[in-house]
Amino acid sequence: MLFSNKPRIADFEAAALPHLNDIYRTAARVLGDSARADDVLQDVYLQAWKSFDRFEPGTNCRAWLFKILFHTINHYRRKWMNIRMVKESEEILETTAASEPPIPEHITDQQMLAALDQVPQDFRSVVLLVDVEEFSYRDAAAILSVPIGTVMSRLSRGRKMLREMLAEVAQSYGIGRSTQEGRSA
Amino acid sequence: MNRVQFGEGACEKTRRYMDAYLSNELLVETNHEVLRHLDGCPDCTSELEMRARLRSRLKSAVQAQAVPPELTARVRERLRKQESRSWFSMNRLSAGWRPYVMAAAGIVLIGTAIWVRPAGTALPAVGDRAAQASYIQKISARVARVFKPGLGDHIHCALFRKYPENPPGIQEMEAKLGDEYKGLLPLVGPAVPEGYKVVLAHQCTYAGRKFVHLTMRKGTDVISLVIARKNEGETFTALSPEMNASGVPVYQTATENFQVAGFESEHYLAFVVSDLKGTVNLDIAVALAPAVRRLLS
Repeated sequence: MLFSNKPRIADFEAAALPHLNDIYRTAARVLGDSARADDVLQDVYLQAWKSFDRFEPGTNCRAWLFKILFHTINHYRRKWMNIRMVKESEEILETTAASEPPIPEHITDQQMLAALDQVPQDFRSVVLLVDVEEFSYRDAAAILSVPIGTVMSRLSRGRKMLREMLAEVAQSYGIGRSTQEGRSA
Repeated sequence: MNRVQFGEGACEKTRRYMDAYLSNELLVETNHEVLRHLDGCPDCTSELEMRARLRSRLKSAVQAQAVPPELTARVRERLRKQESRSWFSMNRLSAGWRPYVMAAAGIVLIGTAIWVRPAGTALPAVGDRAAQASYIQKISARVARVFKPGLGDHIHCALFRKYPENPPGIQEMEAKLGDEYKGLLPLVGPAVPEGYKVVLAHQCTYAGRKFVHLTMRKGTDVISLVIARKNEGETFTALSPEMNASGVPVYQTATENFQVAGFESEHYLAFVVSDLKGTVNLDIAVALAPAVRRLLS
């Protein structure tokens, strides 16, 4: 047979396009830039289509697309970001206080996302995969190509940093100050 | 996944396992231990409720983000472009046929190259200005007028040049580009194929016209990003775009060994010029176009 049974583009679109919104939103939050997310998303779908003949029907297409997403982000990240970003992540970890700040009751989506954006990217990625996209630890580890233990520790630290960032963001908007003062008093 | 017997310091242990509990990743037995502790501990229950609420709020905040309505259509369009381009690519050939088809294609290509490659296409010497001008004129004669400035500056500035062994540092290149254009430097790296490095970034003048020029090099292969302010009436829009890059039309032409892709902003023309394959050169331009246009705006 001269031509192989390459999957039809319609099959690919049927399997992959339903996940486009989730992929885009995750890319936008990880990159903190919707224009870059747009570019990355297009690359993800192009890469996915090129390797769709190796995708096994019946396996988790969503997890497969997320794996391509983070592979693509890492590819871009090596060029876009610099080492300073990684060091900042570690510094933030070192200075993370043990105390648990209170989270205000009434916080807007905008404030929530502003707090999330301040969590370093490696930690933010795990929080997004597990808490927002509801991937299991095992799937998240496969998507990010890291051990499960790394997922667990990054998730724990990421959530903790988010709580702290959220308390700071809320305070800057004048929300929750009285609650925190009340507790720490 | 994690099993633990709670006893002394149960609050501390519960909080340590709270993340796994929230993600439903604890073994059944450990889950029961956490639940048992929560039953009698209002502080930990309150902490867990707060964390669960935060998780839920985070999810709804992320999912409330708007997705550009035309995004799906753009992805489909790019996929179809790719599909039509690769219709006869090796991907479509079954593995058994590939070696034969490749061999046949190689023979045809070599034969064609010997047959059609015009004599005298070798580059003039670096110091021979007259020969260079004549070479650029000859090569540029075959492309639409709007592509000529980019192609000409690429050949003039990037090809007829001796590169130092060590390229200048980022700070030096930023200084040569100036504040207005130094933001181009971080954009080019992700767009070019692996192994290429920025070896030159400056503002230059060719044929009485000013250019912003970034050169990426791998061995003897050179890619240029050339930017020039538009002269009156200069635009690509009279041509048919080859690709749409997130709303930016990208145009392409080729002459001899050179591939030239172009796009424009309100006041600038931008070109990606190389001797790579046309599709690769176009992909570089597509990757650069949205961000470069934003920067030039």
